[in-house]
Amino acid sequence: MTQPSKNGNRNQRLHVLLIEDAPSDAEIEIAELRNGGFDVTADVVETADQVRARLGKNSYDVILADYSLPNFRGMDTLEILREKNLYTPLILVTGALSSETAVECVKQGAVDYVMKDNLARLVLSVRRALEDTRLRQERARSHEQLAHKVEELARSNCDLEQFAYVASHDLQEPLRMVAAYTQLLAERYRGKLDITADRYIGYAVEGATRMQALLEDLLAFSRIGRNGVTPTPIDANTAIEEVLKNLAFTLKEHNVTITCNPLPTILADRFQMVQLFQNLIGNAIKFHGKQPPNVTISAEKHGEEWLFSIFDNGIGIAVEHKEFIFKIFQRLHTRAEYPGNGVGLAICKKIVEHNGGRIWVDSELGHGSNFRFTFPAALADKAGKKEDYELSAENLVGR
Amino acid sequence: MTEPIEVDILLVEDNPDDLELTLHALRREHLANNIFAVRDGEEAVEFLFCTGRFQQRDFDHLPRLVLLDLKLPKLNGLEVLKRVKQDPRTKALPVVVLTSSKEERDLVASYNLGANSYIQKPVDFDRFREIVKSAGLYWMVINQRPLSNPAQASRAASQP
Repeated sequence: MTQPSKNGNRNQRLHVLLIEDAPSDAEIEIAELRNGGFDVTADVVETADQVRARLGKNSYDVILADYSLPNFRGMDTLEILREKNLYTPLILVTGALSSETAVECVKQGAVDYVMKDNLARLVLSVRRALEDTRLRQERARSHEQLAHKVEELARSNCDLEQFAYVASHDLQEPLRMVAAYTQLLAERYRGKLDITADRYIGYAVEGATRMQALLEDLLAFSRIGRNGVTPTPIDANTAIEEVLKNLAFTLKEHNVTITCNPLPTILADRFQMVQLFQNLIGNAIKFHGKQPPNVTISAEKHGEEWLFSIFDNGIGIAVEHKEFIFKIFQRLHTRAEYPGNGVGLAICKKIVEHNGGRIWVDSELGHGSNFRFTFPAALADKAGKKEDYELSAENLVGR
Repeated sequence: MTEPIEVDILLVEDNPDDLELTLHALRREHLANNIFAVRDGEEAVEFLFCTGRFQQRDFDHLPRLVLLDLKLPKLNGLEVLKRVKQDPRTKALPVVVLTSSKEERDLVASYNLGANSYIQKPVDFDRFREIVKSAGLYWMVINQRPLSNPAQASRAASQP
């Protein structure tokens, strides 16, 4: 009978399917649950057909099944539940049962078993089953919410791509017009305008050119992580070779010494790897100190990941700026001191994080920088290391 | 504008300000006598295939070069490119994509459809002029083309 109470824990409604051929046992079980504080309604059945019919019609909080009935094995209920795609918890309530059989039943999907000579455990077992069910439903709900978020994210990524395209094309058009017609104006009216006018025109063109560079960097930044990139095994040594080729002129100009220790093969996008190394090595050269730049590239394995290091003897970075430099459009120097838009390291961070790694810098102002990043070592064991080799600006450009 | 019989360059560009800049750059270098401009993709296709507004045109007088913007009203540049490169009569016609987009997908799509060249218009006007000059010089002077129109040439080439 329902016993109204203010305590939410007591008198919880419980709809039970009881698979039991002994009416007296069924009664005892129901009484036990009522004593335990449940407001029980129970359907008692004893054949497979009855179980099927009941499960098709009603929804139960829990199923209590005798292990062995004359015409039906309680465990067969699990099969019926699977057929009907139901997740109702099933507890075996049984007389004699060897512990091996009991364990086997739990393996097959019963949530628990209770011996009939120890029915005191029944309430506890049911409570636990209900709690598990509640948690499972919650998980399913959050899973659903997650799926929904993923879908939303995909949509927003799609929007972002559209935005990037607009930035690339539509925003550059008017920009070109501003720059071009300002230049034409300067040309047509040369001599008719004063020196200040020429300077102003110079600023306008410079501004438009810089904005184009910003738009292109922004585009490059947004491109990382957009769909369409399939990671392939990349020999990091060859990525570095490509970077050094791209930077050949800069290496010669600044008399750079590059020492590249053997690097592993990793799973990544080749273009992104080259971009990552090129930005880091390029920075190591750009922010050089009084000495000719010296850059050492290496990688070592730490557990499940590779730790890459790009170590230079440049001007270094103050502790308080270590995080700041990885943010997009953030710069520590004026454009006159060091050119750039403040996108390079933001791109590096996005590439590394997109591949499941982390990036940071160990540095002290005036004492060089050690840019380090991790990369999952998915292919670590297959990756062969190459012989050490040293490259300097000299043998690269064949001076 | 009524079109001349012999068109050297067909310029497909919808922005009047952009059009004027390109015309300015082309004319300055005296690389082409007759430049004809159309303002959207549909007009470009009608011109090249002598249909619609241009049905009086003679198919044998194809331009020597098409400068094609990608973002065009009505029919976009890629669609124009596709129709030109799919038709045996116009397949051999050099088409240079001239656009402000540097998007990889535009580049890939253009080359896949058979673009002969892809040029991004720079913001700096001096550089733009240089680029137009180089491209004009290359396609109008250096590049060799068959004496007959490309359509006849391609028909001749396919015979054993």
